[in-house]
Amino acid sequence: MQNGLKTAGGIVFLLGILSLILAPFVGSLAFDNLWSVEPLTYIGAVLAAVGLGVVSISYTVNSVVNKGRDDDASNNNGFHNWSEVTQRYFDLFDHDLGRPIRRISGKERELRAVLKFAGAETDPNVQELLDEIEMQTPNFRLMMSNIQVLVQLEGPDRVAQPQPVEPSELIRKIVDRYTLVAEQSDKEISWWAEPSEFGLVYSDGSAIEHIVTNLVDNAVRFADSHIEVTLSKNDTHFIIRVWDDGPGIPSQYAQHIFDHGWTPEVARREEKSSSGLGLFIARTLASHWEGGLTLESVAGSDENHHTSFILEMPMNSGE
Amino acid sequence: MRASKQDNKILIVDDESSSAILMAVRRRLEEEGWVPSVVHPESGWSLGEEFEAATLYAIDDEQPDGVLLDVRFGEDRDDRFKGLEILQKIVKRYPKLPILMFTQYAQGPDRDTAARGALLWDAPVDFIDKLASPEEVVLRLRRLIGTAPERIPVGNRILVDVETAMVYAKDGEELIPVSEIQGMKFEILRELAAAWYRSPGEMVPFSKLERYSEGDDPRASLRVRIREIKDVLGVALGVRFAAGELIINVRDQGYRLLPPRG
Repeated sequence: MQNGLKTAGGIVFLLGILSLILAPFVGSLAFDNLWSVEPLTYIGAVLAAVGLGVVSISYTVNSVVNKGRDDDASNNNGFHNWSEVTQRYFDLFDHDLGRPIRRISGKERELRAVLKFAGAETDPNVQELLDEIEMQTPNFRLMMSNIQVLVQLEGPDRVAQPQPVEPSELIRKIVDRYTLVAEQSDKEISWWAEPSEFGLVYSDGSAIEHIVTNLVDNAVRFADSHIEVTLSKNDTHFIIRVWDDGPGIPSQYAQHIFDHGWTPEVARREEKSSSGLGLFIARTLASHWEGGLTLESVAGSDENHHTSFILEMPMNSGE
Repeated sequence: MRASKQDNKILIVDDESSSAILMAVRRRLEEEGWVPSVVHPESGWSLGEEFEAATLYAIDDEQPDGVLLDVRFGEDRDDRFKGLEILQKIVKRYPKLPILMFTQYAQGPDRDTAARGALLWDAPVDFIDKLASPEEVVLRLRRLIGTAPERIPVGNRILVDVETAMVYAKDGEELIPVSEIQGMKFEILRELAAAWYRSPGEMVPFSKLERYSEGDDPRASLRVRIREIKDVLGVALGVRFAAGELIINVRDQGYRLLPPRG
C-alpha cells in the first residue's frame, strides 16, 4: 500500500517537473503564444508539489507502521533493533549518568566530613537532607542498572556462559551494601547460609547479584524493622530467600507483582515511586537461567504479616 | 597473616584521587588504621600509560597489602578500560596481591564477567561500585586482604583480642580487661565477632555455636552463656543489654552481634 503511494507520488512529481521544463516549448510551439507558458508552469509546479507531498507522507506512514511492528516484535519476541547510536549511548549510559551521581554523592560525603570536623552539633534538617541523598543514591543507581540489564536482555547479542560463583559471597556483598541504608531507617538486615561453608555453583554471578539486589532493595523499602536473606540448597538447586516483616502483599495484587511497570502505587492510582521494572527483570533473568522466582506473602493485620521472595536456581546452569 | 592490621598499606590508583568521593574513602581507611598511599604519575602525553608505569613501580617500591584500582582513566577513548589492562599486568606479576577494582556501574554486568573470566576464579580480585559507601569499601578490603585480625574491634567500645584470648571494654583510650569471658564464652564471642567483622549482618547459626556448649540441651546451655557474656560486658561498659541488643537471637536460627552504639 505504502509502496503504491510512493510510486504514484513519484510519477506525479516527475510529471510536474516535466511540465515545468516543457512549459516554454509547449507554450511557444503548440499555441504560438508565450502567455500560455504561465498557466502550464503553475500546473507543473502544483503537480511537483503534490507528488512530493504524497511521497513524503507515504514515507512517514511507512516509518510509523514499521516502528509499530518493531515494538510489537520486541514485546512478543524479545527482539529489538537498536541503532548504533542508541547502542553506543547505552554502552556509556552507566558512566555518563553515573558521573553526576558520583559528584552529588561525593559532595554529600564531603559535607558530612566538614560538619564532623567542625565539631558543632549538626542541624537535624541538614542531617535529614544528607541522609536522604545517601539513601536515594543506591535507589537511582539500581534504576540505571535495571535499564541497562533490560537493554542487554532485549539486545540481539546477549551471550553469557556460566561461571563459578560463590553465592554466599554475593549475598554478603549485597547485605553489606544495604546494611547502612537499612540502619538509617532503623531497620536491620541479617543473613546466613545453610550450610555455612556453602561452596561454589555454576551460574551467572551478575544475574544473581542483580536479582537479589532488586529483592533486597524492595525488602528494605517495605520492611517494618527486619529483613532476612537466607541461602540454602537441595540436590539440584540453590535457594535464596529474601524475607521482610513488612505489611505483605494482598493476594489480589500477587498476580501482578512481576508485571512490567507494576508498582503498588499503580493499584492505588498514585504517582509511582519506582520504575516497576525490578521484579519483572528479576523474574526474566531467573527464567533465562532456567531458575524461578516466586512470592509468598501474608498481608493484613495478622501480626505474622511478611513477604518472602524465593529465588531457586540450578546448581549447574551449564548442564 | 600480618602482626597487626595497622601495618596494612593500601595503594590507591585513580586519576580522580583528590575527588570528594575518594577523599571520603581515604579518610575512612585512615580511621580504620590503614595507610593509604596515592599513585601520582609524572604528567605525560598519555594518562593511562603514565598510570600503568607509576602503579607497577609503586607496587614494587612500597609493597602494599592491597590495591584500590579504578577501571577508567581520563576521557580518552583508549583509556576507558585502562584499569583492566593495569589489573592484568599486576595479576601477572603479583598473583597474590589483593586488588579491589572501582567500577563505574552498579552491579557488574558482562564487562565484569569478562574481566574476571580472564583471571583465575580465585584470584584475590574484587569489583566495587565507585558509589559504594566508604564503609563498604573498607569492609570489602578487609575480606579481600585476609581473615579477621588478631584484635577485632567490635564498634568503638569492645575489643576482642584473639591472640591472648582476652576481651576488653574500651573507656576512651583505656582498655579494661573483662576477665570473666574465658574458655567457651570467649570462643562464642570470638566466633560472633569474626562473623560481624566479615559482614555486619552475618548471623552465626546454632550449628556452629553449639560446639561451645555442653549438656543434654546445648541450645539452652548456649543461651545461658550468651546471657552471661552480655551481663559481664554490660557491667564493664556500665549499661544493661536487653534482648535485642549486643547479641541477638535471629528467628531461632542463630545469633548475631550488634555492636553497642557510641
